Amino acid sequence: MASTTGASLKFTSLSSSFKQTPVPLRGVAHVNSVSFPSLGMRPRSLRFRVSCAAKPETVNKVCEIVRKQLALPDDSSITGESKFSALGADSLDTVEIVMGLEEEFGISVEEESAQSISTVQDAADLIEKLMDKNCA
Amino acid sequence: MNIRCFQRNFSAALPHVVPLQLPSPMETHFWYILPDEVKSVALLNQYSELLSPCERENVNRMGGDQLKKRALLARALVRTTIARYQMNCDINPRSLKFRKNIYGKPEVEWQNEDNVSPPPLHFNISHTSSMIACGVTVNVPIGIDVEEKQRKIKNNITAFAQRYFSPYEVKLLTAISDPEVQCQEFIKLWTLKEAYVKALGKGFSAVPFKTFTIQFRATATRNLHPPGISVSEGSEEIVESSNDPTNLTNNWQLALLEVAGSHYAAICMEKDKTVGGEANMPMKLTVWKTIPFVEDVCVSGTDAVLALGGIIEQ
Repeated sequence: MASTTGASLKFTSLSSSFKQTPVPLRGVAHVNSVSFPSLGMRPRSLRFRVSCAAKPETVNKVCEIVRKQLALPDDSSITGESKFSALGADSLDTVEIVMGLEEEFGISVEEESAQSISTVQDAADLIEKLMDKNCA
Repeated sequence: MNIRCFQRNFSAALPHVVPLQLPSPMETHFWYILPDEVKSVALLNQYSELLSPCERENVNRMGGDQLKKRALLARALVRTTIARYQMNCDINPRSLKFRKNIYGKPEVEWQNEDNVSPPPLHFNISHTSSMIACGVTVNVPIGIDVEEKQRKIKNNITAFAQRYFSPYEVKLLTAISDPEVQCQEFIKLWTLKEAYVKALGKGFSAVPFKTFTIQFRATATRNLHPPGISVSEGSEEIVESSNDPTNLTNNWQLALLEVAGSHYAAICMEKDKTVGGEANMPMKLTVWKTIPFVEDVCVSGTDAVLALGGIIEQ
C-alpha cells in the first residue's frame, strides 16, 4: 500500500504541543477540558495521575476489551499509550468499549469522564480510580 | 441519471476539481468516497500532497495501512470538496486552513484577503471503514453521520439503548422483536442522534444523547413521501406545537438516507430563518460519489440514495 510521502516535519518530543489535540473518546473536545488544542502536552491525563498509574493487569484487560471491540488481529500492538482514535475507534466503538469496561470492572462511567479518555492508559487509570471509589 | 466522468492527468501541476456553485439555502451537498475504490498509489500520493504537515503526521500515527488510508482520504475529501465551490477567491485545496471552534468542531479558517467576507460555507465529515462522507451547506451548520447498515453491535441493544437513549426511544426499540431489524433501527437512531449533536457543534457533553428524542412522524399532507424526522428536548413524544420556541423541532431539519445500498447516512442542518416559506420545507439534497481528481458521479435520484426519513427533495 502507498506510503504517505511528502515532506514530514520532524517533531521532537517537546514540540508535540504543535500536534492536533488527540481525539477524545467521543470525538469532540470537551469545552471544560484542560487540554485545549493549542496547548497539547496532554494535561488531561494529569487528572488521573494523582497517584500511581494503573496496574498492568488493568491495562491488559482494557487492551483485551479494545482488541475485541475493534476486532484487531492478535498480533496488532496495543499498549497503554495506544490512542483509541489511532486504533480506528469511532464514536460508536468508544461507547461500546466504555460499556464493556463498565461490565468487566463493575463501574459506572459518567459521560464527562468518558470523553476525557483518549488512550488505553487513560481508561485504565479511570477504571482504577472508580474501583477505588467503589471500595471506599 | 447525471453522470460526469473526468479523466485527469497526474501531472506535476495541481489537479483540478470541477468547479461548482455553492449549495443554495436549505440545500445540502453530500459527497462520499468508497475507500475500496481508491487503489492507485500515485493517487494516494497526490492526496497526501494536499495535506498540511500536521495532518500528515496524524495520518502517519494511525495504526496500520487501512487506517492510514482512511485518515488520508478523509482529509483529501474535505480539502477537495471545499475547494470545488466557486467563491470570491480561488481556493487551492492545499492552502486551506482548518481550526476547531471552542467546542472542538472543525471549521475552515478563511484567510481574510482584502476584507472580503468569508464564504458562508459549512461542512461536516463522517467516516466508517467503508465510506467517508462530507456534507456541505451555506449559512447554517450541518452535522452528518454514516454507519454501515450491517454493523454488528457487540453489547446488548436494549442495555445499550437504556444507557444512552431517551426513554421514548428505548420504548420504541424494545418493541421490535426481530433482532436484525432492531439492530438496524438502533443504528438509524444512532446516526440521527450523532448528526444532531455534530450539527450543534457544542460537543457531546453539552447535549448528552439521553437529553433529546428523535422521532419519526408521519406528515399528513405528504403521505406518499417518507415521514418527517424531528428532534425534541426531553423524552416525551412531540406535540405538534410549531410556535413553541423551546421545541427544538423548529430549528433543525433531519434526514436519513440509505447510501450505496450499504450505509445509513443521517444529515442534520439548522433551518435557515431568513428563508421564508412553509414550516416543513423539504431539504434539497444532491449526492455525489467521488474519487477526487478522477471522477464525480451524481447519484441523487438513483438507487444509490434512498430516502428513509425526513422530507427530502433530490
